[in-house]
Amino acid sequence: MAEDHYTREEENYEDEELDETSFKSVKDAVLFAIDISSSMLTPRPSPDPKKHGDESPASAALKCAYHLMQQRIISNPHDMIGVLLYGTESSKFYDENEDDRGDLSYPHCYLYTDLDVPSAQEVKQLRSLASPADADEDVRQVLEPSKEPVSMANMLFCANQIFTSKAPNFSSRRLFVVTDNDNPHADNKGMRSAATVRARDLYDLGVNIELFPISQPDNEFDTSKFYDDIIYKTSPSDGDAPTYLQPDTNTSTAKGDGLSLLNSLLSSINSRSVPRRSLFSNVPLEIGPDFKISVNGYLLLKKQEPARSCFVWQGGETAQIAKGVTTLMSDDTGQEIDKSAIRKAYKFGGEQVAFTIEEQQALRSFGDPVIRIIGFKPLSALPFWANVKHPSFIYPSEEDYIGSTRVFSALQQKLLESQKLALVWFIARRNASPVLAAMIAGAEKIDENGVQKIPPGMWIIPLPFADDVRQNPESTVHRAGDAVNDAMRDVVRQLQLPKAVYDPSKYPNPSLQWHYRILQAIALDENFPESPDDKTVPKYRQIHKRAGDYILKWAEELKLQASEIFGGSAAATSTLAKRGAKTEAAGEHPSKRVKVEDSASSVEDEVKKFYAKGTVSKLTVAVLKEFLHAHGRATAGKKADLVDRVEQYFEQKS
Amino acid sequence: MAEKEATVYIVDMGRSMGEHHHGRPMTDLEWAMQYVWDRITATVATGRKTATVGVVGLRTDVLMPDIRRLRETIKPSNTNRGDAISSIVIAVQMIIEYTKKNKYKRKIVLVTNGTGAMSDDNIEGIIEKIKEIDIELVVMYVSCRRDSTFMLILCSGADFDDAEYGVKEEDKDSRKAENETLLRTLTEDCEGVYGTLEQAVSELDIPRIKVTRSMPSFKGNLTLGNPEEYDTAITIPVERYFRTYVAKPISASSFVPRSGTEPGSQAPVKGNVEGDALTSVRTSRTYQVTDESAPGGKIDVEREDLAKGYEYGRTAVPIEQTDENIANLQTFAGMGLIGFVQKDQYDRYMHMSNTNIIIPQRANDNASLALSSLIHALYELESYAVARLVTKESKPPMLVLLAPSVEADYECLLEVQLPFAEDVRSYRFPPLDRIVTVSGKVVTEHRNLPSADLKDAMSNYVDSMEFITTNDEGERTDDLPIDESFSPLLHRIESAVRYRAVHPHDPVLDPSERLTQFAHPSEDMVKNSKSRLGKLISTADVKKGNPFPNYIQKKFLLTNAFRFIVPPKTKGRKRQRETEKPLSGLDVDALLSLEPKRTKISTENAIPEFKQTLARAENIDAIHDAVQQMAKIIETQITHSLGHSNYDRVIEGLGTMREELVDYEEPALYNDFVRQLKGKMLREELGGDRRELWWFVRKGKLGLIGKSEVDSSAVEEEEAQEFLAAN
Repeated sequence: MAEDHYTREEENYEDEELDETSFKSVKDAVLFAIDISSSMLTPRPSPDPKKHGDESPASAALKCAYHLMQQRIISNPHDMIGVLLYGTESSKFYDENEDDRGDLSYPHCYLYTDLDVPSAQEVKQLRSLASPADADEDVRQVLEPSKEPVSMANMLFCANQIFTSKAPNFSSRRLFVVTDNDNPHADNKGMRSAATVRARDLYDLGVNIELFPISQPDNEFDTSKFYDDIIYKTSPSDGDAPTYLQPDTNTSTAKGDGLSLLNSLLSSINSRSVPRRSLFSNVPLEIGPDFKISVNGYLLLKKQEPARSCFVWQGGETAQIAKGVTTLMSDDTGQEIDKSAIRKAYKFGGEQVAFTIEEQQALRSFGDPVIRIIGFKPLSALPFWANVKHPSFIYPSEEDYIGSTRVFSALQQKLLESQKLALVWFIARRNASPVLAAMIAGAEKIDENGVQKIPPGMWIIPLPFADDVRQNPESTVHRAGDAVNDAMRDVVRQLQLPKAVYDPSKYPNPSLQWHYRILQAIALDENFPESPDDKTVPKYRQIHKRAGDYILKWAEELKLQASEIFGGSAAATSTLAKRGAKTEAAGEHPSKRVKVEDSASSVEDEVKKFYAKGTVSKLTVAVLKEFLHAHGRATAGKKADLVDRVEQYFEQKS
Repeated sequence: MAEKEATVYIVDMGRSMGEHHHGRPMTDLEWAMQYVWDRITATVATGRKTATVGVVGLRTDVLMPDIRRLRETIKPSNTNRGDAISSIVIAVQMIIEYTKKNKYKRKIVLVTNGTGAMSDDNIEGIIEKIKEIDIELVVMYVSCRRDSTFMLILCSGADFDDAEYGVKEEDKDSRKAENETLLRTLTEDCEGVYGTLEQAVSELDIPRIKVTRSMPSFKGNLTLGNPEEYDTAITIPVERYFRTYVAKPISASSFVPRSGTEPGSQAPVKGNVEGDALTSVRTSRTYQVTDESAPGGKIDVEREDLAKGYEYGRTAVPIEQTDENIANLQTFAGMGLIGFVQKDQYDRYMHMSNTNIIIPQRANDNASLALSSLIHALYELESYAVARLVTKESKPPMLVLLAPSVEADYECLLEVQLPFAEDVRSYRFPPLDRIVTVSGKVVTEHRNLPSADLKDAMSNYVDSMEFITTNDEGERTDDLPIDESFSPLLHRIESAVRYRAVHPHDPVLDPSERLTQFAHPSEDMVKNSKSRLGKLISTADVKKGNPFPNYIQKKFLLTNAFRFIVPPKTKGRKRQRETEKPLSGLDVDALLSLEPKRTKISTENAIPEFKQTLARAENIDAIHDAVQQMAKIIETQITHSLGHSNYDRVIEGLGTMREELVDYEEPALYNDFVRQLKGKMLREELGGDRRELWWFVRKGKLGLIGKSEVDSSAVEEEEAQEFLAAN
């Protein structure tokens, strides 16, 4: 743990995300507290008519906890999750259990899954509890409800102790209470007030209680009976306060069916969730000389990569991740050296040119962080190609300059209206390399449900420097005539995406999803999925259906024009070209193959013929490579590899 | 592969070159050498083995093989004798000897002030030789007259008496005139270019851009439809190249002082940079796993015994070789069009990467014709294409946006990566043009919303600050100044390295003006928009300062709420704040005070009870007492911590204490405690070595409460910082 922190400090220059939190670690711990009463265990008809079979609320809640656990392992790999059952006949709390015959600290509280980063074993255990019919006898015994009522105060203090010892210093700690009992201590005032006091402890500890109330068939859950004394508002009582002050979870402590609330926590896409934190905070936005406001910067768009792989040691009882330890040694003596002795030097003409650490830093420093406007330009001045990385998003902050928000808003609205961009000199952090950037206004975007999709604010798009612009390589231009262009226009018109916009939410990253899916299958001994669900693969059938005829027409025009322009020389060109020109091999081909290239088509046919005869290995390497390349296959390796790959291609196809 | 180069610099080091002119602090030689150094170091910096440099001293006879020693040697000598022409002969011989008959770019640069004897014996022979072996001859002339140091790159009609530069040298001695003629004839006959030293030196700070020839990052088929399945699919062979790619500054490597060079053991050679005494650093990686039974709790394991794997929660999941193929999504190279979008519906900020261009496969006329029709169709329909790109078999797919680019003599598709669903982080922010309250009311006039006046003032200001760019003819253009902007970091480091190589003992320089030319708006623009800005500033009425007491900000951070904060009506101390109540409004504090147990803060429920005790406290003594109890608990936790097992709890306790005491404006109580605690920890009085814990304290910024946080604090900011910094 400590080592992590040390190394993290080193990789600062390129590390974009800035941890600007206070002393708390930005982690989340969720403890489920599921009421195991006989009514919770009674199967009920599902409210969803599509699902058949009755299910008890307890089992539904456990299933949800199980799915959430699975999902959070991927989305929040460092966050903790635990399951505490209460109202059970048996009790379990760390080393205590009923066999001890001693004093039980928390009777009828059964800590089924300890609050921790879950292990695969725990996920499997929870899975067996969620479908007890398939489970062992002792698993089912856990779900035996207690005959006497459980003390809520005791349960809450039990949760308190779990959070205190297992998740100290977490910035977010949540207790999810799932129950259908809206008045646990109806007739015992003392027990009631004890519970309210324990609830207050949790509040002061920084634990949020979130209630998932389940109404009984004949009895609407009424929070005013008990839970309104237990649960605290997390938003201020000021009725005029902006709605955004309310916590941004999907749950609410008010009305609604607890189970559907729980299910709303599950998302359809597996992805790592990133705690909301700023990239830089309170950086001055200098609108003119001596006129500054303050803004915070965020990364709203950032490429998500799969978690890094690690080395696993399987020599012990359980597989363990091996920690790499790097030692630095002097090249001439081989002695270990201390980090403080290291000097940085640049190679220069075979020798080293050294700088002290301070000089190194001085060289990197171009002044304090700032976003300084140096002028405005029409938005059209920003070329499509002038981009080098993802943008940063900025939003005003009142912390350093009071009135920042209204000024920012005025600027944002002006830029939107006049279609202008601001040219800015941008230093994101101390010692960050300065860039020239285009600052553009972004309007708020709201989806059909009224949920904000893109926040209003401004985007900083770093521009390439002259050093970053590459020259276009040579390329011959043959302009197609109007007939061909018109034909292509028809094709393009047929194949617009819905609403003619690109909507990222429709396209999960297929390799990332596949990676998570396989990892989960291996960890939980599940079967491997057959094939990936890849939303990025073009919808071939639709393309064929909608645009097929137009494409054929285009191909026709193209052929006409090609023979017009290149005439007899077309043949010469195509034989000269290694892979041949792209024409339709008219006449020779019964089918209208649009894609066909003269030589490519013959290669295609040749390889196919040889494959049918089982003599692919007789083909030359050049032909094999050309065939593989045309089908997007790797062309590296020995001839045997190429032959294998070609054969694989045909096997997969059939 | 760049051409091989051989360049010889001839530097005139005659006594007269040591004179000062033009009020410059440096001698003519030093001044002229700026140019020479720039050229030499630029060559060295490329690290190319095929670019060679030689230096010949004129009017001296020292040999200078080593660049490090070169600087020491280049000083005006005590003689004014020496023949520039013979030095050229030497240089020619050097080049011939070195390059033999091989293909080389040969070049001689002569720096001289044109005094001293020159003999024109056999000058024709020299010219012939130079032309025969194709040497480019450059002569830099440094005048020693009043205001006239300049350089001539002879060969194109340069005149030592160039009137344009006002360097008419009235009292030129006859030898000098002869020399001029001689050098001019020589260079004219060798065919070349001409420029003044003023120009050459002034252009030294224009960063040189390294031209990189791009290699295709993808060669394959652009398809519409599936050619494997349907006959109606389009296949166009294309190639993909970088359009932009960030040029990175050269990177430094790690070195340590060579052992055995302790002071005194070996007097370093005078003038040597430390670089000579450095040795490189090697890294070695070993792997460890936890083993309770082993001493130290860890054992080393061999790299060969480790499998590749991933973390799944707390479980390490090894992925066997066979599974590894399954874990990677199977993909095949290709660029498949998914569909088309409207240009005006696309938000420019969705660009996620550097940009590329897509051009037809080389020498494939039909591909070029087919791609052209796609480019033009997109262009005319004001559309972009969305495609799935796999650059090589088994590489993860990317989604890219393709835009048409049609210029007079060039056509291509421009390509940039689009975000996937996972790449979009949905942080929500309140609208900027209205305010929606919790009760659902929409407010359009608010202190956080701009008034009509403010909008006007902003609009006028923005319109007055148009950034002007012009083309070569001086006409206004709509371009961004990309061509004139140079990467400040890259060029600063590069020139610093080159400067240091020559001047090892000088401090590092500030970045050149050209690198920071876009750091500020131009003076003209500032002047033009001054009145508008004044109006904007007065209308905006922005005030510096922090309007909110600490506790509100912290509170919102804790609850993960939006950091958009409406200021409370009263700024007040926490003592006066309303106590938190549950939804029902029940007064839990009243219940708490009835609890008999809650007079002492218990260890297991320390944080809530500490907060509640403070809230109940009626005088400073009670606060004092609570802090004492909490302090005791924290110290006990430290003492009993096995390794770092309790550190997180300790940090949470300390942090809570600090936060509360800031809110109660009792900084001294905290400061006293944390001072003591630091002492005890560093003296190892709390169960041994606790330096690691101190590191966490520093990381959490849990040091002294300074004046900036609480006015009544007696601790100055510097002291607070020093306290945290010191070990």
